[in-house]
Amino acid sequence: MGTKYVGKPIPRIDIDKVAGDAEYAYDFTLPGMVYAKLVAAPYAHAKILKIKYDEALKVPGVLAVFTGADFPFKVGIYAADRDVLAREKVLYYGHPVAAVVAETLEAAEKAAELIEVEYEPLPPVLDALEALKPDAPLVHEKLHEYKHAPFIYPKPGTNIATHLKLRKGNIEEGFSKADVVVENTYYEPLISQGYLENWVGIARVKSDGTVEIWSSHQSPFAVRNLLATSLGLPIHKVVVHHMYLGGGFGGKAGLLLEHIPVLFSMKLGGRPVRLELNREENYFYMAQRAGYYFKMKTGVTKDGKLIAHKGEYILDAGAYADYTVNVARSVGLKPFGPYEIEHVYADAYAVYTNKIPTTAFRGFGLMELYFASERQMDLLAKKLGMDPVEFRLKNVLIPGKSITHTQERLREDAGDPAGAIREAAKLIEWGKPPEQPKEPWKFRGKGIAAFWKGPVQPSNAASSAIVKLNDDGSVDVLVGTGEMGQGTITALAQIVAEELGIPIEKIRIAPERRTDMVPYTWQTVGSRGLFSEGQALIRALEDLKSQIKKVAAQVFRVFEDQIEIRDGKACVVGEPWECISLAEMALGYMYPNGNTIGGPLIGRGSHVPVRTSIPDPETGKSVPAPFYTFGAGAVEVEVDLITGRVKVLKAVMVLDTPAINPMLVAGQVYGGTVMGINIGLLEELKFDKNGRLMNPNFTDYKLARAADIPEEMIFKCLGVGQKDAPYGAKGVGELTMLPWPGAIANAIANAIGVELYELPMKPDKIIEEVKKQRPELLEKVREALKVKG
Amino acid sequence: MAASKSIIVFHTLLPEFEYFRPKTLQEALELLDKYKGDARILAGGTDLLVDMRMRLKQPKYVIDIKGIDELHTLKYEEGKGLTIGATVTLDELLNNKIVKEKYYVLWDAIRQLADTHLRMKATLVGNICNASPAADSAPALLVLKAKVNIASVNGTRTVEIKDFFKWVKKTILEPNEMVTSIFIPEPPEGAKGRYLKFVRSAEDLALVGIAALVANPKDPAKRIVRIALSSVAPTPVIVEEVEELFKQDKPLSELAEEAVKLVKSKVSPITDVRATKELREHMVEFGTRYLLKTLLEG
Repeated sequence: MGTKYVGKPIPRIDIDKVAGDAEYAYDFTLPGMVYAKLVAAPYAHAKILKIKYDEALKVPGVLAVFTGADFPFKVGIYAADRDVLAREKVLYYGHPVAAVVAETLEAAEKAAELIEVEYEPLPPVLDALEALKPDAPLVHEKLHEYKHAPFIYPKPGTNIATHLKLRKGNIEEGFSKADVVVENTYYEPLISQGYLENWVGIARVKSDGTVEIWSSHQSPFAVRNLLATSLGLPIHKVVVHHMYLGGGFGGKAGLLLEHIPVLFSMKLGGRPVRLELNREENYFYMAQRAGYYFKMKTGVTKDGKLIAHKGEYILDAGAYADYTVNVARSVGLKPFGPYEIEHVYADAYAVYTNKIPTTAFRGFGLMELYFASERQMDLLAKKLGMDPVEFRLKNVLIPGKSITHTQERLREDAGDPAGAIREAAKLIEWGKPPEQPKEPWKFRGKGIAAFWKGPVQPSNAASSAIVKLNDDGSVDVLVGTGEMGQGTITALAQIVAEELGIPIEKIRIAPERRTDMVPYTWQTVGSRGLFSEGQALIRALEDLKSQIKKVAAQVFRVFEDQIEIRDGKACVVGEPWECISLAEMALGYMYPNGNTIGGPLIGRGSHVPVRTSIPDPETGKSVPAPFYTFGAGAVEVEVDLITGRVKVLKAVMVLDTPAINPMLVAGQVYGGTVMGINIGLLEELKFDKNGRLMNPNFTDYKLARAADIPEEMIFKCLGVGQKDAPYGAKGVGELTMLPWPGAIANAIANAIGVELYELPMKPDKIIEEVKKQRPELLEKVREALKVKG
Repeated sequence: MAASKSIIVFHTLLPEFEYFRPKTLQEALELLDKYKGDARILAGGTDLLVDMRMRLKQPKYVIDIKGIDELHTLKYEEGKGLTIGATVTLDELLNNKIVKEKYYVLWDAIRQLADTHLRMKATLVGNICNASPAADSAPALLVLKAKVNIASVNGTRTVEIKDFFKWVKKTILEPNEMVTSIFIPEPPEGAKGRYLKFVRSAEDLALVGIAALVANPKDPAKRIVRIALSSVAPTPVIVEEVEELFKQDKPLSELAEEAVKLVKSKVSPITDVRATKELREHMVEFGTRYLLKTLLEG
């Protein structure tokens, strides 16, 4: 595109992370800071009878012990369903039931052990399907009293936190036209976001009533808004400080535990209070990712056209539903992959259970959905006797023509869904059978999955940006987006460099934010950062440039349209020797006699999504997102029937979008691929029969290690841009992990003829299913391992 | 994690303890004798400190033996065997030529034990004293017929490694005793060994670990076959009957089939957070088959 900075693999500007002097919230301390320690309940569901803490108060250094009674109100994101500390009942094993604040963490931990609680155990409900039964124990008896957002539909008297509906066409008519129908239930367990930086929050209340908080979060403005709303504070009296974030993956979107240190500080005369979680606490006190049941019935005509899809999606939301109610909206409004289906009928439920609370996770339910729906696609193709790639191409959405599941006609520059599938197939050498290894217990197969996603956000999710020109022609950029490793600030700097013709080194985008000093952005989620901030920033740069031109036009006595900005200078068009540098006019241009015009130049720009609308509550009809990124992933796997392990030998990802920085996109693709593969193969939160989480640690919650990364990862951006996106670029962050569990399951089926409907596809499951579905394979392996002689 | 009565506290900090760093073994043994059940030995600390933070162990006294020179022995005597002192780290063993050449099965196990960072701190003796059923070094030491040298203020004693483990995380050590070294005799002439570790990801704990040692497979008179396993019983186990079995002058194919049956019958895996009983049984069978084929035919 003839650009100098945009589209180039420019190294990240946040190199202080490598140097070791990057500052994270966990590093932050304040003078006079005191420590809070939470105390948890060892029951999944129990009535609290009595809490005794006089012994705890006697420990030297202890300032206070708090219980639920000290905070008689609820907080929450979309529904106020969360106690500050458990009141009346504990709702899950590990539910904070009391807290100690002390001068030191040592004293706090010592005192915490001395707290005693009496309970009356209640029967817990530990499975989402059980929770839907009419006689199931209720997690929240007073659901009818809870305040909630208008687009959330809780059902008082049940465990349903929300119910979302999507209706397109006429489902009965659809199935009556179907020649082949595939019906399955898929299951995916609760998992954890697995970020490295445990959560921390440090809060203080100043004498003027200002509440200040430093915490590990993705979105400073969301924390401010939710904190102010939950605690009834004026927005401007809440100042949220954002620092580098050591990973979020959705688990640090919205309000986390910030209200706890804030409330404690309020009770302690404004003293700074630090609540830091260790790894176990992070598993029990932070929200994890929901579990899923996907019931799917999909019909297709004999010529291979998808005609009807009926889905019932049940999300195990745990004790508090946080963002999971909105994740239900995400899978409810996009109940199938990037294919056109005339008749669609879907219900999505988020259901309370007595498990750990759940919230957002990278991909917002769609990786989970595509595991199920891309399995459906392969199973349908098999029944039809059609090639899975050909079957997908026959049904894939066509920009400008297709009507989506939410009855939106796809804009003509929406992207290249078919191209992504075709290219992924080409790169994995689809159609060429994999070379089988010499060990007769290893089997190889290929699999593919397609995906699409746009940000799941309110129709008014806004962003803004400010660009300040400095004395020497350098630039400070102020944005509200969080930096959590995704690299948005580098990409934004590239845009500034391109637009002003100045080197990257002359641009600063600080990683720190404070909500009273940077312009607003709704949230750093949904792969929306670059798309939204990018547009706001381009408008801010336009604003700045018009001010530059105005000054230069006056200096050169020409019209403003006769000024162009190049290489950090404003020049007369056609006379590149007639220029003033940006430095000369940054603070006001001064004539030789001292007269000055202009003034400090500051550009401002805003963005709100265009055309997006609120879904109809009965049908889901809407334009839910300002863009969709389309793509496909393909893998070649090797299944080892001695170990039961599945190894991804080669992973291919194709995205339809252009890249502002191909190196950053590569980082996202590699990270997302490793994460998606690992979730497909290993990750699960395991609960015992009493609802106790058994693996709250990295020993048994298995994250991928360096040696687990596939040897061959290939990715390609097709460069098909959307016109209103910054340089055409759409979001990629979450997209990079969406296809993997589905593609791997399809590849396993092609390798060993075993169909899987559950995650993770761990050794236990592989061997169990081989025994059920293909026992002769194990006989073959036994035979091959016979000792000769 | 301390689940005292009615609450859980997930501790960030270690419990309070008194710390000693003796310079001599005698000093360490005297401290151990003085504090008996209230003291723990600290070597690498990769198990002890974790257990202390989790409040699984709360010693009042911690005796750090890393300052005792005589416990840092790593000595090979031709024709006799290898002595590995209590503070010798796994990383030191991994970089030792004798271990790799003479005691390959042990080297193979250490190579797969934990990760690079932990191996720089963790010790072989610590791995044994922690007595985890999943201890990677244990099956290798069992097939190598290692001996454990134990000391207390009352003197020293030596036990066979197979008699050292009592139960999950329990050894035969008396409260005033500590392991000073492990002695591994010269392996049988021509012995080859392998440690097969079943894992979920790279650098994992063993779902099942199988060590096999084979010498002179084609010669019934001189043939030695030993198999030991981890993570399939309350302690690491050696299936001693396998060695007897292979002394018989029968076709290898037949003996191997019988050995697989024998191994399966001598283990009792359970379902836990890491794997199901069924998967472990599969691993025991197919892992044993794989090792026998590789080592007997090779």
